[in-house]
Amino acid sequence: MPNPTELIGRIVRFVGEILGASSLRFEIGPTLAVLGILLVFLQLVARPVTRWTTSDAGGLAGVGRSMALAAEAGTDAVVSLGTAGLSRTTDAMGRLQTLAALPLLGHVARAAARSGVPLRVLTNDAMAAVAARATVESAHVSTATRERTGRSRIVVVGEGRPAPAGLAMTTRARPAAAFAFGSLREEAQLHLEGLGGGAGSLSAGTAEPSQAPTVLLPTTAALIGPELYQAPGDLRADVHERTSVLAADRIILLVLLAILAGSALALSGIVDPADLIGTARR
Amino acid sequence: MRRPILTALVAVVGLLLLADYLVVNASLAELADLLISAAILVAAGAALAGVASLALRRGGDLWRRRGDPVGALLVLGGMAAVLVAGLRPGTAGAGDPAVGWLLAALVIPIGASLFGLLFVSTLAASRRSLAMRSRDGTVLVVAAIVVLVLLLPLGGTVGSWLSEAAGWSLTFPLGAVFRGLLLGIAVVAAVVAARTLLGVGPADD
Repeated sequence: MPNPTELIGRIVRFVGEILGASSLRFEIGPTLAVLGILLVFLQLVARPVTRWTTSDAGGLAGVGRSMALAAEAGTDAVVSLGTAGLSRTTDAMGRLQTLAALPLLGHVARAAARSGVPLRVLTNDAMAAVAARATVESAHVSTATRERTGRSRIVVVGEGRPAPAGLAMTTRARPAAAFAFGSLREEAQLHLEGLGGGAGSLSAGTAEPSQAPTVLLPTTAALIGPELYQAPGDLRADVHERTSVLAADRIILLVLLAILAGSALALSGIVDPADLIGTARR
Repeated sequence: MRRPILTALVAVVGLLLLADYLVVNASLAELADLLISAAILVAAGAALAGVASLALRRGGDLWRRRGDPVGALLVLGGMAAVLVAGLRPGTAGAGDPAVGWLLAALVIPIGASLFGLLFVSTLAASRRSLAMRSRDGTVLVVAAIVVLVLLLPLGGTVGSWLSEAAGWSLTFPLGAVFRGLLLGIAVVAAVVAARTLLGVGPADD
């Protein structure tokens, strides 16, 4: 008959053998630092408790007005999800921007659905197109305008980053409002030029640091860097959206404090944080 | 909608990968490799499903005579050309010379010709930005003019002073702004990625 004590003993021995066959990849300092950062990060994500303040970076509060103008003019509105896609062979940070753009697409789609404005969503990735379709349909469901779903189109413009830029520059349609949110790289200027050339207004946002000037130039309001990720939190004051913004603000503050404290310690010669965490100084 | 099984799966996989990152253990390393391979397979499957969906959609457009038939033909023809070049018997796959030729002779020149428009479109955007009296745009254009002056190919004392000033502006003000942006993006992206994976608020509700 199985003995519970023996079973527990075997489990303890098994865990002991695994631990005996293991060793730390780094020194104890860096290991604790990584675990500490993770704990602080999870705490911040799970329980932000600060006063909520909002802003309108990117001028997204004016989407409703743009849609009213589009409805009056009888034209459509265009949303580009950037050029990274979701399943394309590009870096994860680029693809994450496509995910971050989906709530913004939802915001525009809800405003378009209420105003009866057809929406044209441009993407260069089939998976992003599926996500965009689901987002647009969800917007019509939430605004009780399912009968208008068929008027909106999701356009897969082809593979590669230049393809959406080429299409935007050659399309004859003149939308009342154009939006471009997501990863934009070397093709950003052409992409925005094509979208904004005939549009009544243009809003854009990207978290690509090298393209910050490109986004600022043709638009009157833009989402630069972290703002692309934080904008959904500004649009809706739900707890989920607030979590992102508050946690990000607090992490940024903590990082800045850590950098300042580390710099002060290194400059005063008390202790070098680079030596403490085992990082070689360049 | 809450997805407890998915969230639990993500948490367990994340903890395993973190443990493998911190601890050297052969069994753990094998398990982590297995998980990463599975993730790659899932991503490849998703990409394949996306391509199949695109082909079906474009094929349907042609069959039902709706949308843009020329565009649909070009998409299907392009897909077929690359598939034949990469999958025909005796081919070297993605590294086959035929696939390389399709890229080097068609895709890259088309992209390059498009990027040839960058200079003109940047000037046009600058002009429009100034005409709109955009504050950000004006600062950008002024900064661009300053940088152009700093990079003038001049010799002598003035030239070396300009060169030093260009180097200083690249290292300090521009470097600081760029690193600040990178830091901000990294921490916010980490929060968004964690929220998406753990199901803390869907991407769009």
